[in-house]
Amino acid sequence: MSLLTVRHLHISCRNKPIVKNIDFTVRQGEWFTLIGESGSGKSITASTIGGLLPKEMSIAAGHVLFDNKDITHLSNKEFQKLRGKEISYVFQDYQSSLTPFMKIGKQMDEMIQAHCSLTKNERREIALQALEDVQLPTKRVYNSYPFQLSGGQLQRASIAMAIMLNPKLLIADEPTTALDSITAVHVLEVIANIKEKINCAILFITHDLRLARKYSNTIAVMKQGEIVEAGTKESVIYHPSHPYTKRLLGAVPTIKSSTSPAKLDLILQ
Amino acid sequence: MKIIKQTYQMNSQSLLFILVFAYFLAIVIAPLFTPHDPLQINMNERLLKPSEEHLFGTDHLGRDLFSRILTGGQVTVGTGLLVLIIVLLVGVPLGMVSGFIGGRFDRYFMRIIDSFMAFPDFIIAIVLSGILGPSMLNLIFAIVVAKWGSYARLVRSTVLSEKEKDYVLMAVVNGLSAFQIIRKHLLPHVMGNVLVLATLDFGKIILMIASLSYIGLGAQPPTPEWGAMLNESTPYVQSSPHLMIIPGIAIMCTVLISNLVGDVLRDRFDVKG
Repeated sequence: MSLLTVRHLHISCRNKPIVKNIDFTVRQGEWFTLIGESGSGKSITASTIGGLLPKEMSIAAGHVLFDNKDITHLSNKEFQKLRGKEISYVFQDYQSSLTPFMKIGKQMDEMIQAHCSLTKNERREIALQALEDVQLPTKRVYNSYPFQLSGGQLQRASIAMAIMLNPKLLIADEPTTALDSITAVHVLEVIANIKEKINCAILFITHDLRLARKYSNTIAVMKQGEIVEAGTKESVIYHPSHPYTKRLLGAVPTIKSSTSPAKLDLILQ
Repeated sequence: MKIIKQTYQMNSQSLLFILVFAYFLAIVIAPLFTPHDPLQINMNERLLKPSEEHLFGTDHLGRDLFSRILTGGQVTVGTGLLVLIIVLLVGVPLGMVSGFIGGRFDRYFMRIIDSFMAFPDFIIAIVLSGILGPSMLNLIFAIVVAKWGSYARLVRSTVLSEKEKDYVLMAVVNGLSAFQIIRKHLLPHVMGNVLVLATLDFGKIILMIASLSYIGLGAQPPTPEWGAMLNESTPYVQSSPHLMIIPGIAIMCTVLISNLVGDVLRDRFDVKG
């Protein structure tokens, strides 16, 4: 069943087209990867879903359907209810994604309060459970300020916030780009575990094919504001049809275009 | 060693704050302990030199200068604090909203502030209190009008740069309302800078109150206000210079202290410029 459907989406910035005719569907519980170079419009597409487009950009045409509702032109107030509860985000820049002078527990508490009417203890329970889900030392992190944690811990803490209220869709906008590769793998594993646990769909945005390869069910390749190729992981990685996808595959370090699928698989892992 | 050093540093700074606190506390409670009635006129004892009975002597109407200085501190410093609080209550929220909303609203709002800032604040204060007529209330209003713009501008520029940061975006995607974001996530960030500007400004506000009272636009006789006392003592500067020197020193001490504290806070919060 489809959870998120983007239909013929055009986004323009002062009449200049940024994203052209984007079409894709994310099914419930699916890991959908949007891959492409910087400036290809991946993040803009992701922002549109949560109603986070910068002021100078606007939706020129198309629709975004979430959970069978048209959310293309919701008011700010309606988006506010959706964000964090149904659709949540994790961003690239973990260093500044939490308010520096507020304890993490306080920020989590505030977020739950914004969406649900629960008692103080119930809110605390939810927050601690979420921190446990992302494999953080719960009590310590709950009472820490953001600067007291390492990069990987911070990113996991923001994931904890994002999944705390069991959203249906988690949009992860390059969540591992700023992390070192070992921490990145750990963070991805955490996301994968959570996906299993709360059965949410994941819209994963990356430029790293190796990451896309590991967890995705479906991959869409974006270039200059357009989706040039989309399909299951197997078809996109092993049988790329568009020249850009082939180039992207060719650009992965140490992989030659002549590499056989089996060997490619080995290297990519 | 490190702990000792840290404790020492903390102590020297705490000491400063304790002293400042004590100074202002003294100003607040001093009027309760005046040896004489600061308003009691006694023509038999006018223009006396400092003595045991009258620590700072008496003025041209025979009022005890020491008692008047003590009471005047409350008037001057109290009014200064009141002005500062009103300025903060007006300037900070307006600056936050303008910076947060941005766009056209922000542009118009900034032009309004610019038009206030185009004149030296002292001129605005003189003109306004001159038009409205001399009284303490009008004086407060005039200084607030002259001062609020710089706070709104400082807050607005801080918010403008802060709101682009990811933690604000994060608060938005977490479903918090604009009001919550402004109050809980941006306000504490802004307050550091505002606090520094406010303490540095406090001295200027005191000077402004005293100056306006000196030229007769603020406190009216017989209110014992430091600036007004300077004014009253001008005819006797040759025969009884202490009438002028002592209120002057009182003003100077208060301004100096507020500037020193402002400097310490500025170093602490690392505000530039």
